[in-house]
Amino acid sequence: MSAVKETKKTITITIDGKEIQAEYGKSILQIARENGIYIPTMCYLTKVEPIASCRMCVVEVEGVDGFVLSCQEKAVDGAKITTNSQALFRERQNIMKLYDVNHPLECGVCDKSGECDLQNKTLEFEVDEQDFTAKEMHRPVQNWGFISYDPSLCILCEKCVRVCNEIVGSEQLQISVGGYKSTIVNTKPDNDCVSCGECMAVCPVGALVSSDFKYSSNAWELEKIPSACAMCSAGCQLYYEVKHTSIDNPEPKIYRVTNEFEFSNLCGAGRFGFDFENKTAFKDSRKLEEAIKAFKKADTIAFSSYISNEEALLLSKIAKKVGAKLVCSDSYGLSRFLKAYSSVSGKMLWDGTLEDIATSDVIISFGGKIAQDAPMVKNHIAMASKRNKARVIYMHPIEDYTIQNLVTRFIKYEAGSEEGVLAMLLEFLTRDKELDSKIKAFIDELDIGYLSAESSVSEEEIESLKLDFWKRKRFSLIIGSDIFNHERVENIAKIIALIEKYTNFKLIVIPPASNSLGVSLICDLEKEKEGFVVGVNAPGDFTLSSLGDGDFDLPAFNQIEGTITTINKQVVPLNVALPYDGYILNDIAKELGVGSDLTIDLTKELPKEKGFESIEFDELSPNAFSVHGEDLRGYKLRNVTVEVNFELEEVADLESFDGTIVYCVNPSQNPNPFTNKSHLLQSKATLIGSKQFATAAKINDGDRVEFEMDGKKVTRVFRIDTSLKGTIALNPIFDMGLSAFWVSSYRFKKVNINKVGSGDE
Amino acid sequence: MSEKKRVGVQNYRFIELEPTPTTAWGKFKRVLKRSVKLELFVGLKVTFREMFKALFMGEMHTVKYPLEKLPISPRYRAIHEMKRLLESGHYRCIGCGLCEKICISDCIRMDTRYDENQRKEVVEYTINFGRCIFCGYCAEVCPELAITHGGRYETASEQRASFSLFEDMLTPIDKLKEQKEYPGFGAISPNADENIKKTPLAY
Repeated sequence: MSAVKETKKTITITIDGKEIQAEYGKSILQIARENGIYIPTMCYLTKVEPIASCRMCVVEVEGVDGFVLSCQEKAVDGAKITTNSQALFRERQNIMKLYDVNHPLECGVCDKSGECDLQNKTLEFEVDEQDFTAKEMHRPVQNWGFISYDPSLCILCEKCVRVCNEIVGSEQLQISVGGYKSTIVNTKPDNDCVSCGECMAVCPVGALVSSDFKYSSNAWELEKIPSACAMCSAGCQLYYEVKHTSIDNPEPKIYRVTNEFEFSNLCGAGRFGFDFENKTAFKDSRKLEEAIKAFKKADTIAFSSYISNEEALLLSKIAKKVGAKLVCSDSYGLSRFLKAYSSVSGKMLWDGTLEDIATSDVIISFGGKIAQDAPMVKNHIAMASKRNKARVIYMHPIEDYTIQNLVTRFIKYEAGSEEGVLAMLLEFLTRDKELDSKIKAFIDELDIGYLSAESSVSEEEIESLKLDFWKRKRFSLIIGSDIFNHERVENIAKIIALIEKYTNFKLIVIPPASNSLGVSLICDLEKEKEGFVVGVNAPGDFTLSSLGDGDFDLPAFNQIEGTITTINKQVVPLNVALPYDGYILNDIAKELGVGSDLTIDLTKELPKEKGFESIEFDELSPNAFSVHGEDLRGYKLRNVTVEVNFELEEVADLESFDGTIVYCVNPSQNPNPFTNKSHLLQSKATLIGSKQFATAAKINDGDRVEFEMDGKKVTRVFRIDTSLKGTIALNPIFDMGLSAFWVSSYRFKKVNINKVGSGDE
Repeated sequence: MSEKKRVGVQNYRFIELEPTPTTAWGKFKRVLKRSVKLELFVGLKVTFREMFKALFMGEMHTVKYPLEKLPISPRYRAIHEMKRLLESGHYRCIGCGLCEKICISDCIRMDTRYDENQRKEVVEYTINFGRCIFCGYCAEVCPELAITHGGRYETASEQRASFSLFEDMLTPIDKLKEQKEYPGFGAISPNADENIKKTPLAY
C-alpha cells in the first residue's frame, strides 16, 4: 500500500506447536490472529497502535524469563511461543480479579450487558467471587452531549482515549492518573467535541454509552442490519440496530447505529443521524400515475447525488426513454473534473485511498474545509499526524481552528484563486523533473509574481514546503470539493493530474456528496436545465423526494437496497433497515418500460466500461473486513485506462473576491437535510462569522440577516465566532431541504448582507 | 390345574351363595326378604351420616365453585405476579429483560427508559397469556425474585389475546403486607445463607 516498496523478510515461528510463516515486523498477536489462534485481550484495538494497558495478552516465549506482551512484541525468527498454560491462565485470572474489584453488579440494567468484554472475560477466567477490596468512591455519572460517562463502570483500558487522539485527532479525552482514583477526563467539556461517538463505540464496558439509547433496549433484542452510511462519500460501514418501536407499536425502529469498531470508524452524522427515513409514504396509485405523466413530458430530470448507483442507472434509462436531459448539480462539477483529469492522467480515477492518507508523512489538503466536509478524511489525516508525525499542509481561504493540532502549516489563499495556487504548486513540485515540452511551455508561461500577488500566497510560503518535504517519503494530495464548481474546474483538474503524474504524490479527491462519484460515472450529465423539470431529491416542477415533502415519495437511504460508490472507489451495498410502504423509482420505470424486476437487478448492469463489475447485489458483502482491518466490503472499481489527449489553457485572470463573502459549509455532524431530520442532530442554522466580517457587513451578533444565494433569498441569525478571522462567513445549508442540493455554484459567494431584524423572532 | 394357574397364587375363596330360587314361590320369598328386612338402608347408612354432618355439623365436602375455590399448592404455576420490595414498596423489577429473553413462547415484552433519577425504568410490561405456556422459566431466571407465579389459574377470557399489564400483576400497595414469597423455581434455596461468601472490606 505504501508508496515506497519495501521487501519484507519472512520468518518462521512456532505458536502452540504449530509452525507458522509470517512477515517480519508483525507482533505475535497479529500473527496469532492471522492464523486463527486465540489470545485473550482486553485493551487491544486493531485500528490503533497497541495500548498495552491490560496485560491480558501475555504469552510465554521459550528462552525468555517471565511473560511477554504479545500485542507489542514483534515476533522474531525461530521463536517458540505458548499462548496457553496453567501459569498464563492464573496470570490472566488475576488480571480479571483486579478488573472486577468494585465493578458495580448492575449487569441487569447495564446497556453493555450481553456484549460486554468484562462479562465475557470474567466468565472465561472463572472469577466468581471478589477476593480483593478497595474503598468505594463517589463517582457520579457525567453527561458529555450525546455521550454519558459512568466512571464507576470504567475499567481504564484507554481505548477511548486512544481513538480520540489517534483516530479522530480531537485530543478531547485524557486519563487522569491517580491509581485507583484514575478516570477518563473530558478536557474540554464546555467546548463541544465533534460528537463522533468513537469513544463510545470502542468502550468494552458500559462506561461510555449513548445518552439517547441508554436503558431503552437490551443489546440482544436488537437486530443488526449491516449497511453503509450514505451521509457523505466516505460510505463507512455501519449496522442499523432495529427493534419494534414499543409494546403498542410493532413497527420496526432504529434504536442506534453501531459499527465494526475494531476496524472502521464512523463520524457523528452516521452514528447519531439514523432516523431520516421517509415515514409519510403509502401506495397511492393516483400519485404514481401523476409521476409517470410527469416523467413522460419531462424535458429535464434534475436530481441530487443522494441516490444509489442503481437509481442513477434507472434515471439515465428513463431519461433516454423519454428523451430528457439529466442534470445533477452536485455531481456535475465532479464529472467535468473527472473528464479533464483522465484526459491528462490516462486513467479514469485517482489512485489514492483513505488508507494512503493514513500512511503518508506529508499531506497537502487543498480546497476543502476537510474537518466539516469529510470527517473520515480528517480522521485519516489525524492517523498520519499521530503515527507518522506527518507534515500536514492545509491550504484554504479559511483557517480551521478545530484541526489546529493536526495542521503543521496553514497556507491561506484568496477565494477564487485555486487555479493560480495549484499552478504555483505545480511549478514548485516539478522544478527538477523531466517534463513534456507542452507542459514545460505551460509552466514557463506562468507569471508567478502575478499569481502570488492575486492569490496572496507568497513565493516564500511555497518555497518553505521544501522544509516539510525534507527526508519524507510518502506524499498525499487531498483535493476538496471547493474546486468542482469553480468555473475553471477543467484546467484545475489538468494541473492536479500533472502534479500526480510528475510527482510521487498520491491523489485523493473528495466527492462533494454521498454518491457523487457513482452518479458522475454512471450518468451523462448536462449543466443547464430547461423546460419541464422532474426533480428527484432536487426541486423541480414535479418533485420526487426522500425527505417526504415532494409530490411523490421516495425511500431514504435506510429504506433501500442498492450500492453507493465511495471516496475509496469502492462499491458498497446498502440494506433495508426500515420498511417503506410507497412506490419507488423502479415502479415508475416499469410503467415506462425500462424498469427491472427489482432495483438491485441493476447492480450487475452498472457500466463495465467505467470500472464497475458484473456482480449480483447479493454477492456483495456489507461488512467484511480482514483480520487486520482491510475493508473487503463490496468491490473496488477497476481503474480504467483512458486515452491521453489534452490541451492546457493558460491560467485565467484570477477573479478577486472582496467585501463580504459567505462559504457554504455544513457542520460535520449535520452534513445534509437528511441528518437534519434526525431527532438527535436537528438544529438551527446560523450564519457564523468573525468580528471583522460583522464590521464589514455592518451587523452585530444575534442580528437577523438576509442575503441572496443562487437567486434564492436566505435569512439567517448571525453569530460571531471569535476563533474565526477574515471576511468570510460560514453558511450552513442543511436546513434548506431539497434546495440545499441545488446550491451548486462555487462555494464562496459574494453576497450583500442586509439586516432585517434581530434574534429568532 | 390349568384353571388354578389362571387365578394365581392368592388365596381366593369362593363365597357361599344361596342357590338361586327356581320356583315362583321361592322368588317371591326372596323379594320379601330383601325389602322388608330393610337391607337397602344398610347401604344408605353412610350417605345419611354424611348428609347429617354436612347439614347440621358444618362438614360440607363440595366446593361452590366459582364462589369458593380450593386452596392450591404454593408451587403451582398460574398467572404471574409482580412483587414489590417489602421495605420501600417500590416494584422489584429492574427491567433487565432476562424474562423477555428466556421466554420460550415469546410472550413477554417490556419497554424501558432512562428516568429522571438516572435509573432504568420499566415503562410498560406485558405478558400475552394467549401464548404463555406457564413453564416458569421467567420466574426461575428473574434475578430479583420480581416475577413469580401466583395461584390465579383461571385464564379463560373474552378476548383471545388477553394481555396482562404490569399494574395488573403487581402486588397492590395496600396488600404489601400480605405479599408472600414464591417457593417454586427461582426461589432462593433454604440454605442460601450458608452459601454466601462475604466480599472482604478494607474499611
